[in-house]
Amino acid sequence: MSNRGERAQPGDAQPEPAGPRVREVAYALAVRTALREEMLRDERVFLMGEDIAVYGGVYGATRGLLREFGEKRVRDTPISEAAIAGMAVGAAIGGLRPVAEIMYCDFLSIALDAIANQAAKLGYMSAGQLAVPLVIRTSAGGHGYAAQHSQSLETWVAHIPGLKVVTPGTCADARGLLKSAIRDPNPVVVIEHKALYQTTGPMPAEETLEPIGVAQVVREGGDVTLVSWSAMAGVCLEAAQELAGEGIEAEVIDLRTLLPADFETVITSVRKTGRLVVAHEAVTYCGFGAEVVAQLTERAWGDLKAPPVRVGSRFAPIPLAEPLETYVLAGKAQVIEAVRRCARG
Amino acid sequence: MAQPSTQRLMSLYEDMLRVRFFEEKIDRELFPAGLIRGLTHLYIGQEATGVGVIRALEPQDYVLSTHRGHGHCLLRGSDPVRIYAEILGRRDGLCRGKGGSMHLCDMETNFVGCNPVVGANIPIGAGLAFACKYLNNGRLTAVFFGDGALNTGAFHESANLASLWKLPVFMVCENNRYAISVSVERASAVIDLADRAAAYGMWHETVDGMRVWDVWEAASRAAEVCRSHQQPVLLVCNTYRFVGHYTKDTLRYRPPEEARDEFREHDPIHLAERQLADDCAVDMRQLVDLRDRVKREIDQAAEAAKRIAPPPAQWALEDVYVEQG
Repeated sequence: MSNRGERAQPGDAQPEPAGPRVREVAYALAVRTALREEMLRDERVFLMGEDIAVYGGVYGATRGLLREFGEKRVRDTPISEAAIAGMAVGAAIGGLRPVAEIMYCDFLSIALDAIANQAAKLGYMSAGQLAVPLVIRTSAGGHGYAAQHSQSLETWVAHIPGLKVVTPGTCADARGLLKSAIRDPNPVVVIEHKALYQTTGPMPAEETLEPIGVAQVVREGGDVTLVSWSAMAGVCLEAAQELAGEGIEAEVIDLRTLLPADFETVITSVRKTGRLVVAHEAVTYCGFGAEVVAQLTERAWGDLKAPPVRVGSRFAPIPLAEPLETYVLAGKAQVIEAVRRCARG
Repeated sequence: MAQPSTQRLMSLYEDMLRVRFFEEKIDRELFPAGLIRGLTHLYIGQEATGVGVIRALEPQDYVLSTHRGHGHCLLRGSDPVRIYAEILGRRDGLCRGKGGSMHLCDMETNFVGCNPVVGANIPIGAGLAFACKYLNNGRLTAVFFGDGALNTGAFHESANLASLWKLPVFMVCENNRYAISVSVERASAVIDLADRAAAYGMWHETVDGMRVWDVWEAASRAAEVCRSHQQPVLLVCNTYRFVGHYTKDTLRYRPPEEARDEFREHDPIHLAERQLADDCAVDMRQLVDLRDRVKREIDQAAEAAKRIAPPPAQWALEDVYVEQG
């Protein structure tokens, strides 16, 4: 097939040269690396979504893949989220491994029947006769785009039995978790963070799979357990470094997967620290932090020395103007304040 | 129109009887006896559409159905005992009692399943057709839906994409004139429903959905276009349900004589009998014998299903996820 309209651009996916064991790459390139590796490995993997082929994705995460794999496997769609997700369900039942992109997680609203009612339930309702090995890639997070392109809606999907939900916050996880998601026999929603796409971080040079459902202790500390995911995990790490200067050692856990979540790692840490802070960018009310706190209080009440603290965004849509957005979104200052409060409590 | 082949018309007639008796057993006996939980939507009156279309398909083709799908499932060849067992929520049901009437599925017959979210099966069917084309396996995907589904965004998005990508999806609109209580006239700005296909450049045809031979011929043409030209088609079958939308329907939205008149004039089973007698010179006694035999089979299937135990409670937590193989 011809690949009309696409020109090679700097940063296009190319065969990776042999190099050091860890490279600094952009998060978007980490995503692209995972897609490319899985497409090379498995002919059944194909991509569909808005502006992913000729344009290469609004964040460049699929750039170069049309040229390498052709129109059969890298498919621009019309603006039809219900059909994108619904057709991905059908294609998965039919033996393919679709990776469908819903550009912003705010638009999951339009695709949610296919994801929550169909993909999540068809395997169950058919008593295992059907399998839906489908990946929905989408992006969350506030980044100057106002109320309908900025939300963090991970709880919408983390509440649905039958789905898996991963929220990579690093380049290594953006690649490793996406690869695992594509190989998973279940529907997986991969929620990337739009503020991260152009940031860089270390990624293993070798092909690496990160397991779904396993949290990672990204900083050890004995005073407070600080749990987060997605971009907020990086914010927590920065906060922990500042807190160390005032003598508070936070143990930072990147949950990485929300469904199924690895609460064991959190419990193990809280048994050591006795204190828990959960931080996320979604609004605090009914955020996934509530689930983390509930799990911990139910399962490790006796180990807690202070009431757990949640950090999340304020209860408002996300506004455009910089001071307004900053006021609404949870950030490093709120994390630091919460950890101090918990450590004193 | 070609003269019906006696053998084929007899076979289509027998299929319609099987579906009719299957549903009447539920309507008259199983549901009133309180053996069925939740919602049950019967196919009585629409048999010619399901029979005519499904008999025009190949065994390897996929079929997707609606909330009104017992007939489609049966016609694909599932064991009627296991269909009844599923509707009754028993352990040997097709889906081990997890789905019931609105979630029948049998991949041994490529019956991908009923789907009671109206319109939701259309993009799934288009996606299956995409997979068939991608894998070049020659299979068709037939998607049944009602007149109500034509008003969903899912239909329009899927029709556009299926036409744009030339997907071998056979869309079958069973226009029974009511979406629960709202008639086509009150729900659709376009009364000729096939116009919806024209809007997307799709091959389309409209057929009298009460005449099984006509449906079978039209469906055979549609399947041929869909399979050999690898493109979507829409077949609108104008039909009617003689019973309510579901087993508890009060039918306040249509005059009582409407169903009575439709039944007297357009019962697809009666129309096929007349065709068999007039055009094919089949003896009425032969038809009576056939009816008795099919009815007996269905009665036995229902009795067998009633003897099957419900599933053990712990099955409820199985199949939530597929284990990594």
